[in-house]
Amino acid sequence: MNRPRPLPTLLRYATMSLIAAILLTPIYWLIISSFRPADEIFRFAGTFSLETLVPRRLTLDNYAQIFASSFPRSLFNSLFVAAATVALGVFVNSMAGFAFAVFDFPLKTPLFIAVLLSFMMPFETIVIPLYTLMRTLNWTDTYAALILPEVAGGLIIFLFRQFFAGIPKEIYEAARIDGASWWQIYLRMTLPLSGPTIATASLMMFIHQWDAFFWPLVATSSADLAVVQVAIARNMTLEQANWGALFASASTAVLVAAVPFFLLQRYYVRTVVSGGDK
Amino acid sequence: MLREKAWIPYAFLAPALLGLLLFRFAPILIALGGSLFSQSIRGDTLFVGLKNYHELFEDPAFWAVIRTTLVFNLIINPFQILCALGLALLARRPTRFVEIFRASFLLPMTVSIALTSIIWSIMLDPTLGPVNGFLRWIGAPAQPFFRSADQALGTLIMVATWKGAGYWMVFLLAGLLAIPEQLNESAAIDGATAWQRFRYVTLPLMKRPLAFVLVADTAANFLLFAPVYIVTNGGPAGATHLLMFEAYQSAFAYLNHGRSLAISSIILAIVIAIALMELRLFRQPEEAER
Repeated sequence: MNRPRPLPTLLRYATMSLIAAILLTPIYWLIISSFRPADEIFRFAGTFSLETLVPRRLTLDNYAQIFASSFPRSLFNSLFVAAATVALGVFVNSMAGFAFAVFDFPLKTPLFIAVLLSFMMPFETIVIPLYTLMRTLNWTDTYAALILPEVAGGLIIFLFRQFFAGIPKEIYEAARIDGASWWQIYLRMTLPLSGPTIATASLMMFIHQWDAFFWPLVATSSADLAVVQVAIARNMTLEQANWGALFASASTAVLVAAVPFFLLQRYYVRTVVSGGDK
Repeated sequence: MLREKAWIPYAFLAPALLGLLLFRFAPILIALGGSLFSQSIRGDTLFVGLKNYHELFEDPAFWAVIRTTLVFNLIINPFQILCALGLALLARRPTRFVEIFRASFLLPMTVSIALTSIIWSIMLDPTLGPVNGFLRWIGAPAQPFFRSADQALGTLIMVATWKGAGYWMVFLLAGLLAIPEQLNESAAIDGATAWQRFRYVTLPLMKRPLAFVLVADTAANFLLFAPVYIVTNGGPAGATHLLMFEAYQSAFAYLNHGRSLAISSIILAIVIAIALMELRLFRQPEEAER
């Protein structure tokens, strides 16, 4: 194990490089093609050559085109829905995590099991009955329908609970003796200590909402409320001729999710892994 | 743990519990309840008991959907886990540049399922797509992929694996990194081959992360919807008509809400059974410590 053997090492790196190439080429091709003139996007695709991967001319025309269309509206919808979900979700879920981590109360175990069950049951499971509920409440085709169902999340409650459980109880007792209310303790002591957990939870909620497709497709039908994923999918099926706009909008949507993920990748992987382990 | 006025913990829990109750647990009851009703042509709702389920089980089209969904899951789950395990084993040792490879294995998981569908339907387009351009370049015949009833389901599996393998790798990699390096080294000193070390040292210690990934991956794949909706529309000839798409079609194409909620209830029963298995996996370590 300690002696580096050249052949297996070479083989291992060759395999990893090949896999990375297969995994990354579609994303690379999508993004690089979004900068090609619209009539050149497929010109070098049908027959493979260096120009399939390296564009001959670069242009921002496709981006200029989507920003003059209804795409900015979808971009706003997605960003607004995701930001509102994160803002509400950080408070709602951290409060619940705080209660589970700090207090002892009857019903604690059954309620916590309910929280665990809710995150093991993927959201897609209940999309259709949730639509029935929203239709009864007359909430379909509203921002509330896109935001509210995603605010409380079992996984996020669980992440906050795991982090809060590691804070020593003595500091709470000391604060109680000094006359602080539990609300003040939560708001002024616990939350300010939880920067990395808040960052991870926010990122997870943001990407989850940014990527959401099935629920927004079902919950909204008007074009004014279409989020980015739904708008792009509708363009794909309706007007396939406009490839330049499709490539530019898809690239934008990929980058908005990928960039923050990679900035916070270490936190994310660590939290998911330790959360899944405990 | 601190004991306080009885209502305080509930006050902190209230907003989250209200959200979960309304948007996670109430829909379960709505699915079960609504599946017992049917809407007449005039639009009024009638209690029909188990009629919706009865009609489903009498319907050969529904059994074809069940069959496709089962075949899809029986292939994709082991396949994705093998790919994820392979990636985790490759990226296990922290040698030079491994961080870069780990990151590139993860990149596809950041592409949403809707965009994954769109990117690959372009990549694999029989006439325009660069994949067939590449195949012709290496001298292989061009393939129809999503356009052929024989290849569509397999193509769907490959595309879903492109996105999923890196995600499940994270959990398996964490499991691998938790295995003490000395175990492998002492086995190597005792003359165990690489395969023997994997089979008798690594694999037994990976049981829990593997079981977790199997259960969670199965739940996720049972609910696959976006690629079917965006790319194949269930076809060609029903080859990719999965259960979730049938639930969607029942509600929004056939406008048969009772049928759609009956399918949702069946999906719920499957996923809750999977979640309960998952819950057991989470609790096992505590029991083992006692």
